[in-house]
Amino acid sequence: MEALFYVFSFIAIFSALMVVTMRNPLTSALYLVLCFFALAGFYVILDMQFLAAMQILVYAGAIMVLVVLVIMLLNISRIKNIGSDLHQKIIGGLISLILFAEIVIYIINGAEKKPTGIFTGALIKKIGNTQIIGEFLFTEYMLPFEIASILLFVAIIGAYLFAKKKY
Amino acid sequence: MNNYLIVVSIIFCIGALGVIVRKNLIVVFMSLELMFNAANLGFVAVSNRLNLISGDIFVIFVIVVAAAEAAIALGIAIAFYREKGTVDIDKANELKN
Repeated sequence: MEALFYVFSFIAIFSALMVVTMRNPLTSALYLVLCFFALAGFYVILDMQFLAAMQILVYAGAIMVLVVLVIMLLNISRIKNIGSDLHQKIIGGLISLILFAEIVIYIINGAEKKPTGIFTGALIKKIGNTQIIGEFLFTEYMLPFEIASILLFVAIIGAYLFAKKKY
Repeated sequence: MNNYLIVVSIIFCIGALGVIVRKNLIVVFMSLELMFNAANLGFVAVSNRLNLISGDIFVIFVIVVAAAEAAIALGIAIAFYREKGTVDIDKANELKN
Protein backbone atom coordinates (compact mmCIF):
# COMPACT_ATOMS: atom_id res chain seq x y z
CA MET A 1 0.00 0.00 0.00
CA GLU A 2 2.81 2.37 0.87
CA ALA A 3 4.58 1.74 -2.45
CA LEU A 4 1.29 2.17 -4.35
CA PHE A 5 0.71 5.47 -2.57
CA TYR A 6 4.05 6.84 -3.76
CA VAL A 7 3.52 5.57 -7.31
CA PHE A 8 0.06 7.18 -7.54
CA SER A 9 1.18 10.43 -5.96
CA PHE A 10 4.11 10.67 -8.37
CA ILE A 11 1.80 10.08 -11.37
CA ALA A 12 -0.80 12.53 -10.05
CA ILE A 13 1.65 15.36 -9.34
CA PHE A 14 3.59 14.85 -12.57
CA SER A 15 0.46 14.86 -14.72
CA ALA A 16 -0.95 17.85 -12.83
CA LEU A 17 2.24 19.78 -13.62
CA MET A 18 1.96 18.73 -17.27
CA VAL A 19 -1.67 19.95 -17.42
CA VAL A 20 -0.54 23.41 -16.39
CA THR A 21 2.64 23.65 -18.46
CA MET A 22 1.74 22.07 -21.83
CA ARG A 23 1.11 24.51 -24.70
CA ASN A 24 -1.38 22.34 -26.55
CA PRO A 25 -4.78 22.17 -24.76
CA LEU A 26 -5.42 18.67 -26.11
CA THR A 27 -2.20 17.38 -24.49
CA SER A 28 -3.25 19.00 -21.21
CA ALA A 29 -6.63 17.30 -21.47
CA LEU A 30 -5.04 13.88 -21.89
CA TYR A 31 -2.68 14.47 -18.96
CA LEU A 32 -5.72 15.51 -16.92
CA VAL A 33 -7.31 12.14 -17.70
CA LEU A 34 -4.10 10.46 -16.44
CA CYS A 35 -4.32 12.54 -13.26
CA PHE A 36 -7.96 11.44 -12.74
CA PHE A 37 -6.93 7.79 -13.08
CA ALA A 38 -4.18 8.25 -10.48
CA LEU A 39 -6.71 9.83 -8.10
CA ALA A 40 -9.06 6.89 -8.70
CA GLY A 41 -6.15 4.69 -7.61
CA PHE A 42 -5.97 6.67 -4.36
CA TYR A 43 -9.67 6.03 -3.77
CA VAL A 44 -9.12 2.29 -4.21
CA ILE A 45 -6.30 2.39 -1.64
CA LEU A 46 -8.66 4.23 0.74
CA ASP A 47 -11.35 1.49 0.52
CA MET A 48 -13.79 3.49 -1.64
CA GLN A 49 -14.04 1.49 -4.86
CA PHE A 50 -17.42 3.02 -5.71
CA LEU A 51 -15.94 6.52 -5.73
CA ALA A 52 -13.08 5.28 -7.90
CA ALA A 53 -15.58 3.95 -10.43
CA MET A 54 -17.52 7.25 -10.28
CA GLN A 55 -14.31 9.19 -10.77
CA ILE A 56 -13.43 7.26 -13.92
CA LEU A 57 -16.96 7.15 -15.35
CA VAL A 58 -18.03 10.73 -14.67
CA TYR A 59 -14.75 12.67 -14.64
CA ALA A 60 -12.44 10.79 -17.00
CA GLY A 61 -15.40 9.69 -19.10
CA ALA A 62 -18.15 12.28 -19.34
CA ILE A 63 -16.52 15.57 -18.38
CA MET A 64 -13.25 15.04 -20.24
CA VAL A 65 -15.08 13.89 -23.38
CA LEU A 66 -17.01 17.17 -23.22
CA VAL A 67 -13.78 19.15 -22.83
CA VAL A 68 -12.03 17.35 -25.70
CA LEU A 69 -15.12 17.82 -27.87
CA VAL A 70 -15.11 21.57 -27.20
CA ILE A 71 -11.35 21.80 -27.89
CA MET A 72 -11.90 20.09 -31.25
CA LEU A 73 -14.94 22.25 -31.97
CA LEU A 74 -12.99 25.45 -31.36
CA ASN A 75 -10.35 24.83 -34.05
CA ILE A 76 -7.30 23.73 -32.08
CA SER A 77 -4.63 25.28 -34.31
CA ARG A 78 -5.92 28.77 -33.58
CA ILE A 79 -6.24 28.43 -29.83
CA LYS A 80 -2.94 26.78 -28.96
CA ASN A 81 -0.74 29.85 -29.44
CA ILE A 82 -1.86 31.77 -26.37
CA GLY A 83 1.18 32.46 -24.19
CA SER A 84 1.25 34.14 -20.80
CA ASP A 85 3.35 37.15 -19.79
CA LEU A 86 6.46 36.89 -17.61
CA HIS A 87 5.07 39.06 -14.80
CA GLN A 88 1.93 36.92 -14.80
CA LYS A 89 4.07 33.79 -14.36
CA ILE A 90 6.09 35.34 -11.52
CA ILE A 91 3.04 36.61 -9.65
CA GLY A 92 1.13 33.35 -10.17
CA GLY A 93 4.08 31.27 -8.99
CA LEU A 94 4.49 33.46 -5.90
CA ILE A 95 0.78 33.25 -5.04
CA SER A 96 0.66 29.49 -5.37
CA LEU A 97 3.93 29.05 -3.42
CA ILE A 98 2.54 31.20 -0.59
CA LEU A 99 -0.70 29.21 -0.65
CA PHE A 100 1.27 25.95 -0.51
CA ALA A 101 3.41 27.20 2.39
CA GLU A 102 0.30 28.25 4.31
CA ILE A 103 -1.36 24.86 3.85
CA VAL A 104 1.81 22.96 4.83
CA ILE A 105 2.32 25.07 7.95
CA TYR A 106 -1.30 24.46 8.88
CA ILE A 107 -0.92 20.67 8.35
CA ILE A 108 2.29 20.47 10.39
CA ASN A 109 1.00 22.57 13.29
CA GLY A 110 -2.44 20.95 13.46
CA ALA A 111 -3.06 18.30 16.08
CA GLU A 112 -4.20 14.97 14.69
CA LYS A 113 -7.77 14.11 15.63
CA LYS A 114 -8.70 10.70 16.96
CA PRO A 115 -11.15 8.64 14.85
CA THR A 116 -14.72 9.43 15.89
CA GLY A 117 -16.94 7.47 13.49
CA ILE A 118 -17.87 3.80 13.46
CA PHE A 119 -17.05 3.08 9.80
CA THR A 120 -13.67 1.39 10.10
CA GLY A 121 -12.05 -0.22 7.07
CA ALA A 122 -13.10 -3.67 8.25
CA LEU A 123 -16.76 -2.66 8.65
CA ILE A 124 -16.82 -0.98 5.21
CA LYS A 125 -15.34 -4.15 3.69
CA LYS A 126 -17.92 -6.29 5.53
CA ILE A 127 -21.03 -4.32 4.45
CA GLY A 128 -19.68 -3.13 1.11
CA ASN A 129 -18.87 0.50 0.30
CA THR A 130 -21.52 0.87 -2.42
CA GLN A 131 -24.25 -0.27 -0.04
CA ILE A 132 -23.15 2.14 2.70
CA ILE A 133 -23.03 5.09 0.29
CA GLY A 134 -26.43 4.20 -1.15
CA GLU A 135 -27.96 3.89 2.28
CA PHE A 136 -26.66 7.28 3.41
CA LEU A 137 -27.55 8.94 0.10
CA PHE A 138 -31.21 7.93 0.35
CA THR A 139 -31.72 8.54 4.08
CA GLU A 140 -29.57 11.17 5.73
CA TYR A 141 -28.58 13.04 2.55
CA MET A 142 -31.96 12.85 0.79
CA LEU A 143 -32.48 16.62 0.48
CA PRO A 144 -29.05 17.38 -1.06
CA PHE A 145 -29.62 14.47 -3.43
CA GLU A 146 -32.89 15.97 -4.68
CA ILE A 147 -31.35 19.45 -4.95
CA ALA A 148 -28.54 17.92 -7.04
CA SER A 149 -31.12 16.66 -9.53
CA ILE A 150 -32.62 20.17 -9.82
CA LEU A 151 -29.10 21.58 -10.28
CA LEU A 152 -28.39 19.19 -13.14
CA PHE A 153 -31.70 20.13 -14.79
CA VAL A 154 -30.87 23.84 -14.54
CA ALA A 155 -27.38 23.14 -15.93
CA ILE A 156 -28.86 21.45 -19.01
CA ILE A 157 -31.06 24.49 -19.73
CA GLY A 158 -28.17 26.88 -19.02
CA ALA A 159 -25.78 25.08 -21.34
CA TYR A 160 -28.38 25.12 -24.10
CA LEU A 161 -29.03 28.84 -23.64
CA PHE A 162 -25.31 29.71 -23.69
CA ALA A 163 -24.40 27.63 -26.70
CA LYS A 164 -27.44 28.77 -28.72
CA LYS A 165 -26.76 30.94 -31.78
CA LYS A 166 -28.96 33.93 -30.91
CA TYR A 167 -29.62 35.26 -27.42
CA MET B 1 -2.48 10.87 6.82
CA ASN B 2 -0.14 13.85 6.54
CA ASN B 3 1.27 12.35 3.34
CA TYR B 4 -2.18 12.47 1.76
CA LEU B 5 -2.72 16.07 2.83
CA ILE B 6 0.66 17.08 1.40
CA VAL B 7 -0.21 15.48 -1.95
CA VAL B 8 -3.61 17.22 -1.84
CA SER B 9 -2.02 20.59 -1.19
CA ILE B 10 0.56 20.11 -3.97
CA ILE B 11 -2.13 19.27 -6.55
CA PHE B 12 -4.37 22.09 -5.30
CA CYS B 13 -1.56 24.64 -5.60
CA ILE B 14 -0.64 23.42 -9.10
CA GLY B 15 -4.30 23.91 -10.04
CA ALA B 16 -4.30 27.40 -8.54
CA LEU B 17 -1.13 28.19 -10.49
CA GLY B 18 -2.82 27.09 -13.70
CA VAL B 19 -5.89 29.22 -13.00
CA ILE B 20 -3.75 32.31 -12.40
CA VAL B 21 -1.07 31.87 -15.06
CA ARG B 22 -2.73 30.37 -18.12
CA LYS B 23 -4.70 32.51 -20.54
CA ASN B 24 -6.48 29.79 -22.50
CA LEU B 25 -10.05 29.53 -21.22
CA ILE B 26 -10.13 25.74 -21.66
CA VAL B 27 -6.87 25.20 -19.76
CA VAL B 28 -8.10 27.48 -16.96
CA PHE B 29 -11.21 25.32 -16.75
CA MET B 30 -9.09 22.15 -16.61
CA SER B 31 -6.95 23.61 -13.81
CA LEU B 32 -10.18 24.32 -11.95
CA GLU B 33 -11.12 20.64 -12.31
CA LEU B 34 -7.70 19.79 -10.88
CA MET B 35 -8.46 21.88 -7.79
CA PHE B 36 -11.86 20.16 -7.42
CA ASN B 37 -10.15 16.77 -7.54
CA ALA B 38 -7.53 17.71 -4.99
CA ALA B 39 -10.31 18.74 -2.60
CA ASN B 40 -12.10 15.44 -3.29
CA LEU B 41 -9.00 13.44 -2.40
CA GLY B 42 -8.72 15.45 0.83
CA PHE B 43 -12.34 14.64 1.71
CA VAL B 44 -11.84 10.91 1.13
CA ALA B 45 -8.52 10.74 2.99
CA VAL B 46 -9.79 12.58 6.09
CA SER B 47 -13.04 10.63 6.07
CA ASN B 48 -11.06 7.36 5.87
CA ARG B 49 -8.84 8.46 8.74
CA LEU B 50 -11.70 9.51 11.06
CA ASN B 51 -13.79 6.41 10.18
CA LEU B 52 -16.61 8.61 8.84
CA ILE B 53 -18.69 8.25 5.67
CA SER B 54 -19.88 11.87 5.19
CA GLY B 55 -16.72 12.89 3.34
CA ASP B 56 -17.30 10.19 0.75
CA ILE B 57 -20.92 11.29 0.29
CA PHE B 58 -19.74 14.86 -0.14
CA VAL B 59 -17.39 13.77 -2.94
CA ILE B 60 -20.41 12.54 -4.90
CA PHE B 61 -22.06 15.95 -4.60
CA VAL B 62 -18.82 17.65 -5.64
CA ILE B 63 -18.77 15.44 -8.74
CA VAL B 64 -22.39 16.42 -9.51
CA VAL B 65 -21.59 20.13 -9.16
CA ALA B 66 -18.46 19.71 -11.29
CA ALA B 67 -20.49 18.04 -14.04
CA ALA B 68 -23.03 20.89 -14.01
CA GLU B 69 -20.21 23.42 -13.97
CA ALA B 70 -18.50 21.70 -16.91
CA ALA B 71 -21.64 21.95 -19.04
CA ILE B 72 -22.14 25.66 -18.22
CA ALA B 73 -18.44 26.60 -18.53
CA LEU B 74 -18.00 24.93 -21.91
CA GLY B 75 -21.24 26.56 -23.10
CA ILE B 76 -19.77 29.92 -22.10
CA ALA B 77 -16.50 28.99 -23.89
CA ILE B 78 -18.39 28.27 -27.11
CA ALA B 79 -20.40 31.50 -26.83
CA PHE B 80 -17.20 33.46 -26.12
CA TYR B 81 -15.40 31.91 -29.08
CA ARG B 82 -18.35 32.72 -31.34
CA GLU B 83 -18.27 36.34 -30.18
CA LYS B 84 -14.49 37.00 -30.23
CA GLY B 85 -13.00 34.30 -32.45
CA THR B 86 -10.52 33.28 -29.72
CA VAL B 87 -10.49 31.79 -26.21
CA ASP B 88 -7.86 34.18 -24.79
CA ILE B 89 -9.31 35.38 -21.48
CA ASP B 90 -7.53 38.73 -21.83
CA LYS B 91 -10.03 39.49 -24.61
CA ALA B 92 -12.87 39.12 -22.11
CA ASN B 93 -12.74 42.75 -21.03
CA GLU B 94 -16.22 44.01 -21.79
CA LEU B 95 -19.65 42.97 -20.58
CA LYS B 96 -21.53 43.59 -23.80
CA ASN B 97 -20.61 44.70 -27.27
